[in-house]
Amino acid sequence: MEEGIVSLHEKLVNKEITSEELVKKSLEKAKEAQEKYNAFVTILPDAKGVNKITSLLSGIPYGVKDNYSTKDVLSTGSSNTLKNYVPFFNATAVENLQKAGAVIIGKTVLDEFGMGGTGTTGHTGVVKNPWDETRMCAGSSSGSAASVACGVYPYALGSDTGDSIRKPAAYCGIVGYKPTYGMISRYGLFPFASSLDTCGVLTRSVEDAAIVVDAMKGLDENDMTSWDSSDIHLYDSLKKQTKAKKICIIPEICDIKRYPHASSELKEHLENFQKTLEICKSLGFTVEEVSIDENLLNALASVYIIISCAEATSNLSNLTGIIFGPRGNGTSTLDFIKDHRTKGFSPLIKRRFVIGSYVLQKENQERYFRNAQRVRRLIVDKMKEIFKEYDAVILPVGTGPAKKLKGPYDILDRNTTILEEHLQIGNFGGFPSITIPNGFIDGLPVGVNITGNCYEDEKVLQIASLLESKMPYKGQIAGRKEK
Amino acid sequence: MKFTKEMVLDYADKLLIGLNEEEVNLVLEEFQIIDETISSVCDIPDLSKVEPMTHALDDFTFVLRSDELEDGKDGYPTEVLLRNAEKVENDEIVVPKVVG
Amino acid sequence: MKYIPKIGLEMHCEISKTKTKLFSRARNTYSMSPNTCVYPVDMAFPGTLPVLNKECVRLSLMASMILHCQIPEYFLFERKNYYYPDLPKGYQITQETKPIPVGIYGYLDYECEGQIKRIRINNIHLEEDAASLDHYYNTSTINYNRAGIPLLELVTEPDFHSANEAVSFLETMRSIYQYSGISEGDTKKGQIRCDVNVSIMDENLEESDPSNWGTKIEIKNVNSFGGVRDAINYEIKRQIHLKETNEYDAMPQQTRRWDEEEAKTKYMRSKVDAVDYKYFVEPNIPKLKIDPKWLEEIKESIPKLPLERKQKYIEEYGLSSYDAEVLIKDKDISDYFEECIALKIDAKDAANWVTVTILGELNKNDEKITDFYLTPSMLKEIIDAKNKNSISSKQAKEIFQKVITEKKEPKQFMQKENTQISDEKELTEIISKIVSQNESQKNAYLNGKTNLFDYFVGQVMKETKGKANPVMTKEILLKELQK
Repeated sequence: MEEGIVSLHEKLVNKEITSEELVKKSLEKAKEAQEKYNAFVTILPDAKGVNKITSLLSGIPYGVKDNYSTKDVLSTGSSNTLKNYVPFFNATAVENLQKAGAVIIGKTVLDEFGMGGTGTTGHTGVVKNPWDETRMCAGSSSGSAASVACGVYPYALGSDTGDSIRKPAAYCGIVGYKPTYGMISRYGLFPFASSLDTCGVLTRSVEDAAIVVDAMKGLDENDMTSWDSSDIHLYDSLKKQTKAKKICIIPEICDIKRYPHASSELKEHLENFQKTLEICKSLGFTVEEVSIDENLLNALASVYIIISCAEATSNLSNLTGIIFGPRGNGTSTLDFIKDHRTKGFSPLIKRRFVIGSYVLQKENQERYFRNAQRVRRLIVDKMKEIFKEYDAVILPVGTGPAKKLKGPYDILDRNTTILEEHLQIGNFGGFPSITIPNGFIDGLPVGVNITGNCYEDEKVLQIASLLESKMPYKGQIAGRKEK
Repeated sequence: MKFTKEMVLDYADKLLIGLNEEEVNLVLEEFQIIDETISSVCDIPDLSKVEPMTHALDDFTFVLRSDELEDGKDGYPTEVLLRNAEKVENDEIVVPKVVG
Repeated sequence: MKYIPKIGLEMHCEISKTKTKLFSRARNTYSMSPNTCVYPVDMAFPGTLPVLNKECVRLSLMASMILHCQIPEYFLFERKNYYYPDLPKGYQITQETKPIPVGIYGYLDYECEGQIKRIRINNIHLEEDAASLDHYYNTSTINYNRAGIPLLELVTEPDFHSANEAVSFLETMRSIYQYSGISEGDTKKGQIRCDVNVSIMDENLEESDPSNWGTKIEIKNVNSFGGVRDAINYEIKRQIHLKETNEYDAMPQQTRRWDEEEAKTKYMRSKVDAVDYKYFVEPNIPKLKIDPKWLEEIKESIPKLPLERKQKYIEEYGLSSYDAEVLIKDKDISDYFEECIALKIDAKDAANWVTVTILGELNKNDEKITDFYLTPSMLKEIIDAKNKNSISSKQAKEIFQKVITEKKEPKQFMQKENTQISDEKELTEIISKIVSQNESQKNAYLNGKTNLFDYFVGQVMKETKGKANPVMTKEILLKELQK
C-alpha cells in the first residue's frame, strides 16, 4: 500500500497480488491510522476487491473525504448536523472513480464542512499528524492527508476552498493537487463556498495525482460550472518532453527580508525554498521576481473570509433537520431548526455564519461583500497578467512545518502573514495549483506550491513532476524519514 | 456602523443558531480585523468601478439543459427521497404546524 | 375631497408548459401523488446543484418581449435567503433587478371597459416555486412536487386606478400566457398568485410625482382574480376611511394579508420589520450570454396574441366587437374558431355557432373545448348541409345535439329519417302518386284554380311528415301537374 498507482497496477495485471489482498491490507492500515491519528469518520470493513482490471485505478483502494456524497455510505461532512445522513447518490467524482474500478476503503475526517484549516473541528474529533502526533495535519482535508501520508492507500479525495488540499499535503509531506475550477464536477460535494470550492486529490506523487484526476474529471450535466476537458490528458502529458519553463516568485510573499522578526523555523523554511529555486534553475527553468501590490496581498485573508463566509451561510441553510439530519427539539418548526443548528454546528462555523450574514446585509453588502468581490477580481487580473509572461508562480507553503495542536488557532489573527494565506489566490481565480514536499525542518515535512493559469493543468503538473524528480521526497511515507 | 454584541445576537438568531458569550466576543474580535483591512481596501482608487467577481471563472462554456425527462421518469422514488427524514406520514414530511 | 387610488401588481405565474422543472429534470406537473416529481436538488440534498432548463429561459424571454421589456445581454440568477419550511435550500433562486433580470421597463396595452389602456411593467423575472404545505390540527406536511417549478414574476408600476383595471390586466396577462404557450394560467391549480399594493392620493395633487402617491400598503398572496378585486376595493375604502378620520398619516408602510373568508385585509408586518433577504449572485449558475440570433428566433415564434386576434376578427371577418371578445377570451376557443375559418366555414356562421351554441353547451356541462366531441370539421358538415338546403336550421340544431350526446359523426344523422327528402327520384314517386290520387283537384288546378297548388304542397308535406325538400317539392309538383 506504500507504492504508487502504476506499480500496484502492474502487480495486479501480473497477478503478483489480488485486489482482494490490497483491500484487506488497506483496511488493516486504515484501522491503524484511525487508532493513531483519528483519520476516519467511517471505515468500510466490507469493502470488496475488484477482479476485472480495466484501468490504472481498477482494484486499488482509496479514501474519500467525508464531504463527498457516497451512495449508501454515511456522509457527514464531519458535522453533527449530518451525523446520520446516508445519501442515495454518488458524487460525480466518486461515480467516475467507481466506474474506473477504484475501491473505497473509508470516509475521512475534515474540518466541519471544510471550514477551517486545523483538522480539529470535525464531529469525531481531532486529526493528528502522522509525522508527529502532537501536531496538526492542517485542513480541511485532514483525514485524507493523514491516511495517504501513513500509507493506507495511494490516494484520497480532498476538496479545496482556500488551501484545504494543498496545506495539509504540505504538513503531511505529500502531494496535494487542486485542478482548475470546474475540471472535476462538484455535484455531490457538500458545498462550503461554491465560487471557490474545488475537488481534488492527495497522493504521494505528481504522477498519481495526474492519474486520479484524469479519472475524476469531465463535463457533468449535473454541474453547470463543469467544462469539457476531454482534450486534457494529465498523465500522458507528464511523459512528454517539454520545453524550458519560465516561472516566477512573488517577493512580497516569500522574501526573507520582509520578515525581520522571523522565527528560526520560518528562516529555515524560506532558505529551503531558495534551495528549491536553485533546483528549478538547474532544471533549466527561468526564475524571476514579480511584484504584487502589497495592499492587495494584505487584504487577501479578509477578502477570503468575507466571500467564503457569505456563501457558506447561504449554502448551509439547507441544514435544518427536516429532510435529513437529526431532528432538533422544539414545538415550532423554527425552534427545532434552531435547536438542530445550535447543537449541530461547531463554534467556528457559527462565528463564520454571523460574519457571512453581516457582510451580506443590505446596508453592509457594498462595503464588505461587493468590495471583497472587487478585490478578488483585481488580484485575479494581476495573476492573469503574470501568467501571460510566466508558466507558473512558485511559492513556499505556510510559515514552516505543521503547527502544534495545543494553542489558539483558526481565529483570524492580526499577525496572520500572507505566507499562511496566499494559496487562496488559487481559489480566487480557479487556478490549477499543486503542493509537493520540498524538504524537512526538524524532521517535519514542508511543501512548495506551484500555481498556473486556468486550463493549463498539464503545464503545472509537468513543472511539479520535473521538480519532484530532482528531490528525494516522492512517495515518502510518514515516519520513515530519519530525523 | 459599528458591529455590536446586540447585532451579533440578532444575526445569530436570524440564522437560527445560538451563540454563547465567548463566541460573541470572538466574532467581534475577528470582525475588527476584517473591518480594518476592508477600510484599507476602500482606498484603492476606482475600486467601485471594478466589476465584482461573482464566479470562479469568467469564461464558462456550457449548454443549457434541454427540457427532457430522464428516461421518461417523473422523479426519484419517493421512499428513497424520504428515507433520511425522521418524521414521514403518507409520503409527506411532517413538521409542527406552520402558522403565518 | 376626492382620492385617486394608485394600484400596482406583482403577478406570479407558474410556467406550466415545460416538461421539466426550472433547475431539475423532475416532471413539471400539478396534482400527482406527493413527492413523486422530485429530484435531489428540489429537496436540497447536500452537494446537489441547479441546472438551468433552456425552455424556461426561452419562454421567459418570450414573455419579456411580449411585455416590450429591455432584455439583458447576460442572464444571471440570485439567491434570496430566508428560512421557511417550504424552502428546502434556505434560499430561493430568483432574479433581482440588479443585475437585470429577464426584462425591465416594458409596457402592455390591455382593454378595460372598452378602452385600451397602457400599464408600465417595472420588471419580469424567472424564479423557482417553493414546496407546498398542507396544514392539519397541530402538524403541517411538506410535499416537494411544487419545489422548483418555474415561476414568472412580473411587477407593474402603480399605474392602475381601479380594481377593474387591475383585474382586466390580469385577465389579459393570463390569456397572453395561455396564447404564448407559457402557462395554463389556472388559478384553481394555484398557478397564478398575486401581491397587490394600494395607496390613495389626493386628487388635486400632481400624479407624476411619486412623493404624492401616499403610503404604499402591500397585500400578500391573493390567489384569485375575484380576490384581487375585493382586496383592492376593501383597501381603498379602508384607506379613505383613515383619511377621513385623520388617522392616515399615522399609518405606517406595511404588509397586509387578504383574508378570503372574512373579506378583509389584515395586518402582517410593518416595513421596518421587513426581512433582509441578503441577495447575492448564485455562483453555481454561470453568467449566460444571450445569443441575439436566439432572441430573433424567439421573437418570430411568438404566436398572435388576443388583442391582435380580436382586431383581425372585427376588421377582416366583420364580427361584432362583442363576438370577437367572447372568442378570444380563451385561446382554445379562439383556436377552434380559427380552425373553422381554415376549413372555409363562413366567419359569421362559425362565430355564431361557437359563441352561442358551442359555448352554451360547454358552460352547461362545465366542459373544455379541447375535450368537446364535435370538431370543426363536423361542424362544417352540418353547416354545409344546411347551406345546401338539405337540412333546415332546426334540423341542424337537432343533429348538433345528437352528435354530441351520442358521440357519432353528423353523417349518421343526416341519412336517417330526420333528414330532408331531397332525392329527386324519391320525391317524384311520392308526388306523382299524390297527383294521381287527386284527379279532380288536378283538373280544377289546370282549369285556373291556381291556389290549389298549395293544397298539393300540403299533401306532399303530410305524406312526408314535413321532410320533403320544399324547393324541390315545388319544382317537381309543377312538372307533375302538367303531365
